[in-house]
Amino acid sequence: MAEISEAHDSDSSKLHESGSEAPPRPDSEPDFDPKLMRKTKPGLKRLFLTFSVLFSFLLGFPFLWKSVEIYRSPLPFREIDSLSTQLRSDNLHFPLHFHALFVGFGPDPDPDQLRRSILSEITKLTSQNPKCSNNYTLSVTVDLGSRCLRSPTSSPHSSSYQCGSISATDFVQNDDVAVDERLASVFGGKTKEYSVAVVKGGSERAVVGKHRHAWMVVGDGSEVEVAVVKVAELLVKVFINGGRDEGSIRNEFMPVGADGKIVLSFNLLNADPLDWVYDWDFEKIDDTLLAPMIEALAPVANISVESQVLYHTPKASFSYWNQKLESYVFSTKDLPFFVNSNEWHLDTSIAAGGRSKILQFAVYVPSAKECPLLLQLPNGEISKTNGFISPMWGGVIVWNPRGCLKDSEFEPGAKNIIPIQDLENMFEVFIGQFRQLFGFKSVNVYAGASGDWDLLPSERGFTKWELEVLSRQQTCFNLHSCATTLGSLSRLVQSLPRMIIMDEIGKQVKFSLEAAKLALSNASSGVYESSAASSSQARSLAEDAFFHPSIMSVSYYSFEHCFAVYSPFFLPVSMHVVLAALREFRRYKQEKAKYLVWKAKANTAS
Amino acid sequence: MALLRRPLLVLILIVTYQFLQLWIAVGSVIEEGQKQEEFYEELLLKPLPDRKVLTHFHFQSSAPPTSNGRHHHLFPKAISQLVQKFRVKEMELSFTQGRWNYESWGGFDSIPSSNAKPPGVELWAVFDVPQHLIDALWKNLTHTLSGLFCASINFLESSTAYSAPEWSFPPASGNLRYGTLPREAVCTENLTPWLKLLPCRDKAGISMLLDRPSIYRGFYHSQRLHLISTGSGSEGMDPGIILEQTLTVVLQPNSQRASLDRASEKHIQPSWSLSSIFGKQVSGKCVLAETSNVYLLLDRGLVAELKQLHEENEKSAEKVLTSENFRTNPCFELSAKPDRIFIEESSLLSKNSSVLYKFKVEKYSEFEPFDLGLTWKIPVVWLCRQAPLHASRFLMGSGNERGAIAISLKSTQSSESFMGANSDDERCELRVDVFQVVPWYVKVYFHSLQVFVDQQPKAVSDIIEKIHVSPSKDKVSPGVMELVLKLPCSVSSAALTIEFDKGFLHIDEYPPDANQGFDIPSAIVSFPNFHASMVFLENDSLNKSPLLSKFQEKSHVMSYTEVLLVPLTTPDFSMPYNVITITCTVFALYFGSLLNALRRRVAEEERFLKDKAAKKTGRLPLLLSKLSAKLRGRHSEPPHSPPGPASSSFINSKLVLKVILVAGVAACWQHYFL
Repeated sequence: MAEISEAHDSDSSKLHESGSEAPPRPDSEPDFDPKLMRKTKPGLKRLFLTFSVLFSFLLGFPFLWKSVEIYRSPLPFREIDSLSTQLRSDNLHFPLHFHALFVGFGPDPDPDQLRRSILSEITKLTSQNPKCSNNYTLSVTVDLGSRCLRSPTSSPHSSSYQCGSISATDFVQNDDVAVDERLASVFGGKTKEYSVAVVKGGSERAVVGKHRHAWMVVGDGSEVEVAVVKVAELLVKVFINGGRDEGSIRNEFMPVGADGKIVLSFNLLNADPLDWVYDWDFEKIDDTLLAPMIEALAPVANISVESQVLYHTPKASFSYWNQKLESYVFSTKDLPFFVNSNEWHLDTSIAAGGRSKILQFAVYVPSAKECPLLLQLPNGEISKTNGFISPMWGGVIVWNPRGCLKDSEFEPGAKNIIPIQDLENMFEVFIGQFRQLFGFKSVNVYAGASGDWDLLPSERGFTKWELEVLSRQQTCFNLHSCATTLGSLSRLVQSLPRMIIMDEIGKQVKFSLEAAKLALSNASSGVYESSAASSSQARSLAEDAFFHPSIMSVSYYSFEHCFAVYSPFFLPVSMHVVLAALREFRRYKQEKAKYLVWKAKANTAS
Repeated sequence: MALLRRPLLVLILIVTYQFLQLWIAVGSVIEEGQKQEEFYEELLLKPLPDRKVLTHFHFQSSAPPTSNGRHHHLFPKAISQLVQKFRVKEMELSFTQGRWNYESWGGFDSIPSSNAKPPGVELWAVFDVPQHLIDALWKNLTHTLSGLFCASINFLESSTAYSAPEWSFPPASGNLRYGTLPREAVCTENLTPWLKLLPCRDKAGISMLLDRPSIYRGFYHSQRLHLISTGSGSEGMDPGIILEQTLTVVLQPNSQRASLDRASEKHIQPSWSLSSIFGKQVSGKCVLAETSNVYLLLDRGLVAELKQLHEENEKSAEKVLTSENFRTNPCFELSAKPDRIFIEESSLLSKNSSVLYKFKVEKYSEFEPFDLGLTWKIPVVWLCRQAPLHASRFLMGSGNERGAIAISLKSTQSSESFMGANSDDERCELRVDVFQVVPWYVKVYFHSLQVFVDQQPKAVSDIIEKIHVSPSKDKVSPGVMELVLKLPCSVSSAALTIEFDKGFLHIDEYPPDANQGFDIPSAIVSFPNFHASMVFLENDSLNKSPLLSKFQEKSHVMSYTEVLLVPLTTPDFSMPYNVITITCTVFALYFGSLLNALRRRVAEEERFLKDKAAKKTGRLPLLLSKLSAKLRGRHSEPPHSPPGPASSSFINSKLVLKVILVAGVAACWQHYFL
């Protein structure tokens, strides 16, 4: 209100003050009201001044904003989003080629019809895996000895098979390994196809070999339709899914560290060294049993092995004496309390890098008070392996010393060596446990709905088709994990506008995206090894970016801090500047109105 | 012909050489196959003159050199991985609480010279890599150790926290890095990981005695880890490692007889037993240990004193002390019968020698635990052997600007008698090495080094034989001073002073609680001419003891000085914000008034004021004018027209409106931004 009254009162003073602008008006003029009109144009000097100050302030703001801006390396948010949508929209298809060979069925089965029925069985069996799907093609060959009936007639994948190279007599022998090698030489070649040979005549058998093929011998009187169902199940459940049950261990879990490394830490736990002390010849086992497996798994993970012997490591829960079995029994429901994390200082490894996955394998030698110690399954039976696994942690085996009796001549402190035979058995169980941690079965039989398949075990722990299942799965897991990590990073970065983002993070994100794209293109062209490698690279780079130490620097420089530093200056100054500009503007409008009134009057008067 | 023959000869030579090499390699493999990882546990007890007891636990694990160092049977996996990953040749890490009392607990024996450590954490390591890689390895090593021992050793990572001594530090070599953290608090979270490195942890054997409350109640507590990697040389072989873990505790036994009012009893040393000082007993050895022994050491001074007492009783002291029948010993009584008694091989200079009683723990079991007790019968007073000079360090000067560090060396009495043999020799000289690290913000002026011998100032060049100085660089590296002093043997006191300026730190370089002051790490004073070693004849080589062989090693006599606390000027940490606020306010005022002055219309305002005065005056201006009038000492003139009630209510409503507006803005702010 004050300024308005000031404006009202100021007209006469204005005239006095701006005497140079206009000649003083004669007082005698009758209808000239100094409160309502003026004769001169209002001055623009002060208006211009205040507005130039205001505008220079407004112009200065972007510079200030730029100067207090923190460095944020531009992240490719759009590409990150497109990667995750690409993965979500099921674009990751692994091409698979199946080949079914029917031998000895005579000319009646039409290969086209067989192919159709197998395909329909396959679609019945395929559960829609939400994460990664497969893009399969099927070719069927019916071998008539001299010539072959093929469907589709010009498939590029089945051409490697020479007609008549397999006959029913090849399968008469009982030696599965020899048959496997024979098939490997027949089917082996450059094409990466999964083959099933269905042979009529002979004793019934169904075996999955060590390479990429399986064979099935059916009786003379059996129908081809039964074989078709069984073949379809084999292709879907074994060759695609690796023979594992849905839902036992979630498929997408892979016990591989973010840097693609696994450390297998083997521990021999002497529960009470006062009773007996056992040592092992680990170096020998390492060379004979573990080294081939590590070599076989090299495309999937970089594995290193270390071992130690620990003493005074009792288990955490009690077992009870079972008179019938004459042993101490530990039931399954107590298993979560078997691992004694207070006394078993299994330790993380210093040799391993930051994000390697450490799998602990422990051999538990019970004390005399609880020997022999057996693990009981929920159905009341005694575990054959006497061991158990804990997903993503490792496995435990209980090994009972022979006799379990405290010898009178047993000298405390003398080191006994675990017999090499027992040690080998133990490590076979460990390899089985390791397979289970990867989601495979530890038994060599796949029990399907339509019949059992014998799985031929490999001396390297993992067969070729299993390794391929693993690399497919790892690619899938790594790509999804990479996309999730990058997505979280982009959400985090977008939600915290005051976070410093180093160039290095931007670079890592860029490389990670590139590697992920490479993995995607490799996967769709069927190069499993390199797609697994580049997918793990993509994942580790994404993790590196997400866990970059500089990301922590956000928390010490908040918007409140910025406000607190700048408000003591800008708040009072902007008040002055804005108010001054407003006042001047309002006054100018008033004065102009007055001038216009006078002008109108002068015009009417004249 | 000769030309033809020569290559053949060379070939033969090569073949035989390779064959020899192969043969040697095979032989060494076989030899090493027999070597096993070994573990020893030992405990030394020693009564101290000031009614305290020294307990010294010594654990040693060793791993032979192998071709495959990934698999271990006894040796801790963590340590061997650490040695392999960081190529550590030798390393020592100590956690200490309290200060070793050199005057009353002795400073000459091998226990004080190798186990008395500065308070806090001390770490040094020698690396087996070229010079330019060492710093990176050191940084990684500190981080690993900090994770392994739950301590803030990672603060030694910054280059201002560690130094590279050239020659004064005993295992001198260019590949050594040395750092201390004087303010690190040591507690059981550091002991537990240390115990985890022992195969039996504290579940069995001598380590069962480690009762946490009793240990941390002690006067001095030092937990040490020392490792040496040995015999790496051939390629593809991992080095063998000897890991030595010691825990030195000085405890005050609860004297049960203190309540007795007999005057003579008060002077008797308190009697103690393992169960009374630790609250625990040893129930058998750790089955994995090669040997498990407990020793009781009576040092030279005590033995001499006991002999003297015996001579009064006219008995053969030597026999009494070493006799098997302890019931007849008139001075003290042991509750357990020692398995062996060692007498130190006395050197030529001193007639007295220490006595060591050995107890084998393996004879005892859970049902018959080992509990060694010592009961004194008569009062005994003795002194421990001292280092030739007693070193202490203090600060001089006052104020927050400058000061001086003084290291004073005082001759101890025992050393005088020690050196008495050749004190008349004019050329007798006592060599003293001093190693001092100073943080960069204490800016030492090395030219101001002054030396005083027997309170007389001396020329620096007369006394200092060798000096190595690496001046500190601001925010980069600490200052290091290494000195070799040559003092005459007859010296009774010597002092070194050096002046310094206190630096200013940047505001974010101050540690939390900066007002407490800054620590200058302990200086190390060592006497290379004197070797602390005790030789005990040990004729059974089968039962070798690492502790006794440690005693036999000729190590330099070493002592650490006190940690100094330097108060630095600390700023008011809210100052930057205050400065910002006040400058901003001044600027805002300036800006506002400038702007107002620019758009001022002087004539107009004068007229307006005149008009206003003619009309009315508000309540506040009225009061103000009254006040000013009163101050001037004049009568206030009543205003021309009293303020109308309507206008004042009008102003009030405006005020209320404004207040509401401000409150609304504040509420919006609160709601949307915070």
